[in-house]
This record gives sequence, C-alpha cells and structure tokens, in this order.
Amino acid sequence: MTGQIIELYSDADVARLEGRVKRWTIGLWALAVGALAACIAMAAMAGTETAKRLELLSIAVSTGAGWIVIYGGVFVVAAGRRELRHIQMLRTEERVRQEGSPALTGQRVRIQKSITARRVELRDRGPVRQVMVCESKAKALEKAGASAVYTTHGYVAAYEVTP
Amino acid sequence: MKFLKNVFSQLHSFLLWALVSFLVWSWVFAFATDAPAAQKVTVYCNVPALEDTALAAKLEENLPQGLKMIQVRSFDYVMFDTGTIDKGDLFILPQSAIDEYDGQFTPIVGQEGTLIYDPETGQGAAKSYILYGDEPYYLFLGAGSVHLDDGLAEEIAQLLLALS
Repeated sequence: MTGQIIELYSDADVARLEGRVKRWTIGLWALAVGALAACIAMAAMAGTETAKRLELLSIAVSTGAGWIVIYGGVFVVAAGRRELRHIQMLRTEERVRQEGSPALTGQRVRIQKSITARRVELRDRGPVRQVMVCESKAKALEKAGASAVYTTHGYVAAYEVTP
Repeated sequence: MKFLKNVFSQLHSFLLWALVSFLVWSWVFAFATDAPAAQKVTVYCNVPALEDTALAAKLEENLPQGLKMIQVRSFDYVMFDTGTIDKGDLFILPQSAIDEYDGQFTPIVGQEGTLIYDPETGQGAAKSYILYGDEPYYLFLGAGSVHLDDGLAEEIAQLLLALS
C-alpha cells in the first residue's frame, strides 16, 4: 500500500532558501563595499592630529566587517548554495523507494564541498538500513512519522506517510 | 554553541584577515599622511617620552609656505630604518648621543648645535610635548636635509625653540 508522498523540500522551502542566500549575498556585498568606502574616506580625511585615531578605527572597521563577511559568506551563502545544489540533485535524479521508519543516529557527516548530513536508520521493516538526510531537514523527517523514504544517491528526497 | 564551533572552524581565516587588515590600512595611512621630502620637515627626537602628534600639530599651526606637513618622530624610527637619519631635517639629541651620530648633522649655531634643554636650570623648548632626560639636549639640522638651502629647516627649528 502506498501512502501520501511528501517532498522533503517544498517549493516554498526552496524559494525561502534562495531568498535567504540572495539577501545575505547583497547584504554582505553592501557591508564590504560600505566598510571599504568608510575606510577610504577616513584615510582621505586623516590629518596630523587625527591620523592615528582614524587608522585604528579603519583597522577595526575593516577587520570587523571582514569577519562578518567571512562568517556570512562561509556559513550562510556558501552553505545555502551547497544546499540548493543538493536539492537540485534530489529533485532531478533517479529515486529509490526504501521502506522503514526513519530514526536519526547521532552521526553527522560533513561532505567535502557539499552539505552536512545526518545518518538515518530505517527500522521496522526487515533489516536496518542506513541513508542520509541534509542536517537542516533531519528533525523534520524524524517527526514526520514516515513509513518509507525515497532516496537519491542515498540521500532522502521525499518520504511517505501512511494515513 | 554552533556559532562558536563555526568560528573556531574558520579561526585561521579570521586571524589572517585581521593581519591583512592591519598591514593594508597601516600602509594606506602611512602613505596618505605622508608628503614628499621637499614638502615636509621631519624632526627626530631622541628623548625619553614624546607627544609626537601634538607637537607636529602645534608646529603645523604656523606652517611656512612651501611645506605641507611637519613630522615628529621618536628615535625608534631611526633604529628600524637607519637610512632615515640621512634624510631627517631636525634632530633633538642628548649630549651623550652626539658622538654616536657625529658627522650626520649640521649644527645651527656653533659646533655643538643649539642647546634646547638645560637640566641645571630646567629651561627647555617644547617642554609640554617633550620629556627630557637628566642631561643637556641639543637641536641639530640634518646634514642631508633638503631644507638647508631654502631655510625651512631653520625656520621650523626657530618655531620649535620658541615653543614652551
């Protein structure tokens, strides 16, 4: 018997993620350009009396802004883009149906140049099998009460809920 | 917790950026607040303590025509770059250091330079900006100064000597 198939990532999820990546990209560029402009302005305004103070301020502004850009760039923008590529892969490539209730294990797997995933065990139906799910959707999958999952290259792309 | 974990995973990037930022803006400000030797007078002070920025700003209040700025440097600068001593316009030296730099200076008056601080009377120029030691201090014109012929080095020397 086949139940209702629910996509792990809805269209709204994808749109939200795309919007987030876009907003952060624009915000980080604005911050970087703004900080650079502020530092250049301070250097242009510096006189004998103000030079040391403005130099320290420029270093502080540039360092602080750079840290925010690095953090946002690595952990929001780059991570978001990797997740979007992962979603694209889940949506376009071939799926395999695997029966069993998903239960999260404690194992996190950081895949080089890709997402961070959690290992999931499929139980209740025959031998326990392991699949992976993107970390951001791991808890949602566990709470969904699925009876089967659809995987692409071993990653959960959708799940099935039996009414 | 996740934030800290993320920060630690990129700690090398944060530290590298801080270093790059420091080096770049230090260089930019050094470049932006400098002027060619022909448009500035540099005063090197071999004294225990110095308010270099305040003294430079005070001297700039009466900046002669043809000059853009006055630089006041501690002698630490000379230690880092011995080439700068050849280009300095004015030098304030204690009695005990004069022999060490003999031949580098053109005295303003007489062979021993101009007395700028006398420890016996406690009288000295620019005492609000310079902390002198327990020996006489002299003001010299730099032998390699580009402002010997135009008189600007001596003009700034007179301004300096007139400061309280």
